[in-house]
Amino acid sequence: MTTSPAVVTGATVEVREVSKWFGQKVAVSDVTCSFGPGLSGLLGPNGAGKTTLLRMICGLLNPSDGSVSVLGVDPRRDHRVYRRVALVPEEDAVYGHLTARAFVSYAADLSGVSRKGVDKAIRVVDLADAADRAIAGFSKGMRQRAKVAAALVTEPEILILDEPLNGTDPVQRAHLIETFRRLAADGRTIIVSSHVLAEVERMADRVIAIVDGRLAAAGGVHAIRQAMADIPYRIRIDVDDPRTIAADLITSASVTSVTMAGSTLHVETSDLPDLGRRVPQVAKDLGVRLTTFEPEDESLESVFRYLVRRRK
Amino acid sequence: MRAFVSIVRVTTRQVVGGRRWIVLSLLALLPPVVMWFSSLTLTPSASIDRYNDAPLPTLLLLVVPIVTLVVGSGALGDERRDGTLSFLLVRPVRRATIVSAKLAAAFLAAAAIAGMGGALASFVLALRADTWVTFAPTLTAVLVGTAAYTAVFMILGHLTSRAVLIGLVYVFVWESGISFAAPALANVSISRLGLSAYVGLLPESTPGFGALTEVLGVLEPGAGGAVAKAAGITLVCVLIGAFLLQRLDATSE
Repeated sequence: MTTSPAVVTGATVEVREVSKWFGQKVAVSDVTCSFGPGLSGLLGPNGAGKTTLLRMICGLLNPSDGSVSVLGVDPRRDHRVYRRVALVPEEDAVYGHLTARAFVSYAADLSGVSRKGVDKAIRVVDLADAADRAIAGFSKGMRQRAKVAAALVTEPEILILDEPLNGTDPVQRAHLIETFRRLAADGRTIIVSSHVLAEVERMADRVIAIVDGRLAAAGGVHAIRQAMADIPYRIRIDVDDPRTIAADLITSASVTSVTMAGSTLHVETSDLPDLGRRVPQVAKDLGVRLTTFEPEDESLESVFRYLVRRRK
Repeated sequence: MRAFVSIVRVTTRQVVGGRRWIVLSLLALLPPVVMWFSSLTLTPSASIDRYNDAPLPTLLLLVVPIVTLVVGSGALGDERRDGTLSFLLVRPVRRATIVSAKLAAAFLAAAAIAGMGGALASFVLALRADTWVTFAPTLTAVLVGTAAYTAVFMILGHLTSRAVLIGLVYVFVWESGISFAAPALANVSISRLGLSAYVGLLPESTPGFGALTEVLGVLEPGAGGAVAKAAGITLVCVLIGAFLLQRLDATSE
């Protein structure tokens, strides 16, 4: 029996063969994964199905197929589980007419926890100075932090954060990442979705990658990195004598293809640093003028698509 | 109970926030203004007739439906529109508690605004005819109509983002049109519940009482029946709302 890297032992959140479609559109397709204590990243390009998956985990959406269990129960059937779960949604889910303090207090009241933790939650997200201002006047980053504070006030065992760093500045981002890591170190299950690979790398010990609603890769951050290591890089090179440069590049073992279009070369290589050293040197040696050297296809989406193709 | 009270508090500010309460309050002033100007030269007895003829229908057929439409449809609809529904639903609170708290908040807000209009109209009548005979029946009618309308419009607001448009068509085509033109349909008209409560509580010795049904049409089932029907509609709507929150996907618009 083989164990998928998408599944962990001692899971607090289990997703079993879950699919979700909206009319003809399939948002999530046959995803099986689980999350346990620690910080897990849910990684994928925009529109990959991350939010849909998180909303199914939270019981906000009904799976079209498959099942979800949180702390052993289906959240749509047993609302008491929400005492132990908190969600920071991606959308601007705040009440503009409330102050940050009133908003966090409202979350405490709804979750049946003491308001004693309100000030602490506000301090943790560094909003103390603005706590008594109406949220309507907040920046995007401040709203994000208010939402995080409203989640933290309930001291959840499971914290689900959908793109929580959107709109935050680098200092706030570092602060929030540190907060999430500290909560994870306390033994809580923290699930953070993001479309930014570097962001997830900084936070998560484990990553679930989703593309086009399907599970693309799962495992430790290093394993994901490894899986991406053999992606051929596609580079655009503009020179005034493309034939000369192309003739040299096809002799390189790491270059897998060279195509020429006017004065532009499209080069695929498995060793980007080597190509980066080689091209300027050759251009200099042969007296060719090099005007452009840039990656053509380095988006996270293309990385994910590669992972999906590899899985097939 | 703490969650219920908190939802009521936040929702009340939500549904009558911004300029909404100002616009709705101005609308609610229409019946007393109509009463004031239409009874300037009338005798006390004729003033009571005028009250039943103009300000009362304005209140129960126009002010109450529109105020409850705006406030009621926003109770859950605003949460969907603003994306805050998920904030509310990922809580250890029963769906029925959420819906009933939302309804209570919308009812209180709408009843306060429409009730003010009714109270002021009765006050103007008291100035003209030196009688408070319409005061309690008017407020009861407002409360009955507000309860039933708010509950129905709350569900409508949850189901569609075009609740106000659909609600206006309902109010003007069905409530003010078809249900008056076809007496057989009077029993399924919400506005008639308010009118029934009013007539049921108004002393028969009130001048012009006999002409009321001629002016207002079929008025069943009386005050007690109207209150019971409004309570039944409210209860059914709470159950429907809880069911919808439980079963439907919580998607924002």
